[in-house]
Amino acid sequence: MSMATIRSPQALQYLSVVGMSRDSQVVTEQWLKSEEHYWLPITRRPQGDAGKFQALAETWRREVQFLSSVTEMVLHPAYQRIIGMGTAVVPHLLRELECRPDHWFWALTAITGADPIKLEDRGKLRKMTEAWLRWGKEQGLTW
Amino acid sequence: MGQGTGTDLVSEDLEFVFPHLARSVYAITSPSTPEYNCIAWAAGDVERWWWPVAGSFAYWPPNIPLQESLDAFIKAFGSIGFTPCGDANVEQGYEKIVLYVNENGKPTHAARQLPNGRWTSKLGKVEDIEHELDGLTGAVYGVVAQVLKRPIDE
Repeated sequence: MSMATIRSPQALQYLSVVGMSRDSQVVTEQWLKSEEHYWLPITRRPQGDAGKFQALAETWRREVQFLSSVTEMVLHPAYQRIIGMGTAVVPHLLRELECRPDHWFWALTAITGADPIKLEDRGKLRKMTEAWLRWGKEQGLTW
Repeated sequence: MGQGTGTDLVSEDLEFVFPHLARSVYAITSPSTPEYNCIAWAAGDVERWWWPVAGSFAYWPPNIPLQESLDAFIKAFGSIGFTPCGDANVEQGYEKIVLYVNENGKPTHAARQLPNGRWTSKLGKVEDIEHELDGLTGAVYGVVAQVLKRPIDE
């Protein structure tokens, strides 16, 4: 049986039985790393919520930066994927709002069902941000 | 912020997104900010993000339809004294704005005329620029579909 036809775990078991020289071990390790990368490229490896959120947020910021339409902003696929992350992403959204205020209000309302913004503050980014950060603290959230 | 005296700053990034800018005279006149957008800037408001969307996510003048239509935008600017007019030439005693629409007829952008006949725009969440009217037409903002004017308060 050739190595090319053996998936990694089986290959390791097989080779550990028959014994390997140091050179063989190095070649095998490199082969296993290559195969791992083939089966699970870095773009498909599981990310934590923080990393996933930051990657999506960066894509969103870049791709909607010239738009005025709130509708187009919130329908952007990256924004929708952030909403799809559910309640786990709320602390990340609040942290992002605190550090770099932006139009995350739709996502927060979509996920939490809350809307702490006063009618007279509609459109005022700083006031809207303050309202959501206050809401987060009232909910006992940390970020 | 916003209505600066103009700088000689230009941006290859802007010219990539708005290719007509590269063939015209323009200047970046403010820092980036997400606090107001082109519609607010055209209306003279630098504290709010204007857009016709239900809920608390943006400002829209009271009693104006929450519709992304040219008619609703004309009504929104009508609420602060603008009326439709026929051309974008400088007219003594009036200030003018233009509305851009995309290929589906949806409003995308607004620009305001300066006394020197050039135009000032807030580009989404990034900078204000001073530009020629044609500088922002293209794939992103579409074309100018409506000119509006109102008397200048003396």
